[in-house]
Amino acid sequence: MSKTINGRARRWRAAVALGAAAALGLSGCGLNEDNGASGESAAGDAVLRIGTTTDVSNFNPLQSLSKTDSWILNAMYPHLLRIDENAKKAPELAKDYTYENDGKTAVFHLRDDFTWTDGKPVVADDVKFSAESIMKYKLGNVAAKLTWVTSIEAPDATTVKFNLSQPYAPFAEGVGFWMSVVPKHIFEAAGDLSKFPNDSNWVGAGPFVLESATKGQRYVMKRNDKYPLAPGGKPAVSKVEYRLYPDVNTMMLALRNGDIDLMGTPVPASAAKTFENDAKIKMAKVGALGFAHLTYNMNNKDLAKQEVRQALSMAIDTKSIISSVLQGDAQQMSGPISPIFADYDNTEIQPYAFDPAGAKAKLTAAGYSDGNGDGLFDGLELGVACDQSNANLTRVVQLFRESAAKAGIKLENECVERNTFLSRTKDGKYDIDASQWGVFDNPMDQLRSTYLSSNPGGINYNLLKSPEIDQLINDAAGTTDTAAFATKIKNIDKVVHEQAYLTPLYVENFQFAYNASKFGGFVASPSDLLGMVTAYSLAQVKPVG
Amino acid sequence: MARFVLNRALKAVLTIWIAITATFFLLRLLPGDPTTLMVEGDMTPEMRAALLKTYGLDQPLLEQYVSYLRELLHGNFGISFRQIQPVTDILLDRLPWTLLLAGVAFLLTIAVGIPIGVYAAAHRGRWPDKLLQGFGIGGHALFVPSVAMLLLVYLGAKLGWFPIGGAVDPDTRGAAAYLSLAHHLVLPVASLVLVQLGPYALTLRTNLIDVLGEDYIRAARARGLSGRRRLWKHGLRNAILPALTLMGLQLGTLVGGAVLTETVFAYPGVGRLIYEAVGQRDYPVLQGAFIMLAITVVVANALTDLLYAVLNPRIRL
Repeated sequence: MSKTINGRARRWRAAVALGAAAALGLSGCGLNEDNGASGESAAGDAVLRIGTTTDVSNFNPLQSLSKTDSWILNAMYPHLLRIDENAKKAPELAKDYTYENDGKTAVFHLRDDFTWTDGKPVVADDVKFSAESIMKYKLGNVAAKLTWVTSIEAPDATTVKFNLSQPYAPFAEGVGFWMSVVPKHIFEAAGDLSKFPNDSNWVGAGPFVLESATKGQRYVMKRNDKYPLAPGGKPAVSKVEYRLYPDVNTMMLALRNGDIDLMGTPVPASAAKTFENDAKIKMAKVGALGFAHLTYNMNNKDLAKQEVRQALSMAIDTKSIISSVLQGDAQQMSGPISPIFADYDNTEIQPYAFDPAGAKAKLTAAGYSDGNGDGLFDGLELGVACDQSNANLTRVVQLFRESAAKAGIKLENECVERNTFLSRTKDGKYDIDASQWGVFDNPMDQLRSTYLSSNPGGINYNLLKSPEIDQLINDAAGTTDTAAFATKIKNIDKVVHEQAYLTPLYVENFQFAYNASKFGGFVASPSDLLGMVTAYSLAQVKPVG
Repeated sequence: MARFVLNRALKAVLTIWIAITATFFLLRLLPGDPTTLMVEGDMTPEMRAALLKTYGLDQPLLEQYVSYLRELLHGNFGISFRQIQPVTDILLDRLPWTLLLAGVAFLLTIAVGIPIGVYAAAHRGRWPDKLLQGFGIGGHALFVPSVAMLLLVYLGAKLGWFPIGGAVDPDTRGAAAYLSLAHHLVLPVASLVLVQLGPYALTLRTNLIDVLGEDYIRAARARGLSGRRRLWKHGLRNAILPALTLMGLQLGTLVGGAVLTETVFAYPGVGRLIYEAVGQRDYPVLQGAFIMLAITVVVANALTDLLYAVLNPRIRL
């Protein structure tokens, strides 16, 4: 009898312990109790659900560097300028900008109808404070764009003047597009902004402002009822909810199932066809600012020769790559500027045609020979590095390797894990780099960053030291006359192409999928960084019906 | 027994210290640093230096290590590079989800694995046994993300029986929230259990068959004890001992498997946090998460050993 009682007591104790553990676990999980946002809204109000891939890693927009952070933070903190679907800068917080003092002063004129969600107006002092904080604490990528700033003035509530040490033609475009404007009256109190998480009590001036963040699950933004760039003065959607799907395949299933209404990430070209039979899902297609390319390390004795770089450019079958790897959903490029920048793209340049025999002849003329008759030039063996997480580029490298062998060039596939790849590229520990630029918002910044030898913070992966290119870039950078500036950029395109410092491969078309049976009015931007999840786009979205 | 416990505890502490040290240095031996990921666009050397200083990565490696250990002893896991928040808070936010997922999968594996293993052993050589052997061997070949994706596509997306992401429907409250929680758990738990169950039941079956051949079982039979009693009371009690070790090891595998499962099912646990932190080179978060996982595995193994010692006094000798 006593044995039975003991056995029962033990079982009860075990059950109580298990129950307590479960309760502890669940209370730790929160289980919606402390979540302010219910996700429900009044009749007639629509909630737009967007799929995102990772948590917000940093709520401080001046410091954040993550793409997915920007999808949320850009909807909350205004920028002076935005980029439209044709890659042109359009007004946002700034109505317009001008240059004074021979290009040494950039002046932004602000709208007077933007307000922070706590009721205070957005004024020039907020812009001045944001820029000065970035400079003081060296925050984010914008700090490099403010290198030339000697002082900032805010003579009245709607005027901001950036005084520069030298004229830089795309200064206003770059700063206007990239810099988030934060409320001075909130952020100033935080002190050192490099240590300010800004993870609660959000005050914004974009179309939406964060209401709640449930890490690992969702972020809910509520409408700013006074957003001047929305039709009617306020967004038609009452809430935007970001739901996390780290795996893009899961996100696609979630869109098809109706769990989300828009995928923040572009749909991979290989997967786009899976939506074809789904009547409710529509795809918006846009070009891209960035592009895939091969970059040659000029410190390599072979790659330092123009003939070798040109031969390599002739040894890659770009057209075939576009049709097989990208299912034709990309555009071939000739010069180093994405064709979406129509004003700067030098259309007189023609891509190097795929010609293995011609490449072979060029290398023979340059003194290379095949002594052992194995079909490959002796001593010409190069590695091609790439980020192996980019499935398209891994395939490109494989195809390049095969086509280059036909031209007598032996290539080694050196695709590695992303961080290792970036580290090697940055340190110049590679021969040929196959990669894809993300966002270059203007060609001048791109050329200056990639080729100017005196720019230590740039991404001159070629390790190029060309006095000719340096002179051309510096000359163009100080040219504020629009037509003359475009001509100079086109000339740099030509020189880069002739020298074959890089072989541009393709500019991808991005496709963004959304549930057209529920929402419409999205405005796509030409970048996977922005897509259809920009402040302007979200402010234009309308429920269907 | 006290000496055994002390000895085991010391080993556990040593193992955890080795894990902490290895994690610290391995992360820093990887190519690049947290600023590597910020190369898209311009970053001046001054900016990079400022960032490294903010992260404390400008100090000599040994100094960083000593300082890290000192902070750890005070219970401070550091501040996340990217989230600018204490790692402890970040981990505590995610830990319950992983414990819930791995815990339910663990208990379910045992609860279902034991009867299957016993049944197969009792029907040795017959079709249920052969079926289990196939399932057990197949289980070794199964890969968590593949199973997870299959379940997701067919049971989640195609048939619509289960949610395809998240841990709970955010719009539910009270009892409905708990039901939603259970509903969301089904597929992630199933993918973990499917992979673990076969090998676990197979090990138990093999142990049980060995035990059933022992003299004392034959003696029990001679004493007239029923087959069921011999199997469940005498056989299983002894066969389960070696399986205990496997259970301890399985907990480690489950936590590791949760990293992959949580990514596929968008489950908000520590596994997914690790996945994100790896991409961002967020050393403090990675260190904190790995230490926590190491502690989980070491403690689970230590407890298994202790339980083993309690059940089998010969171990303590």
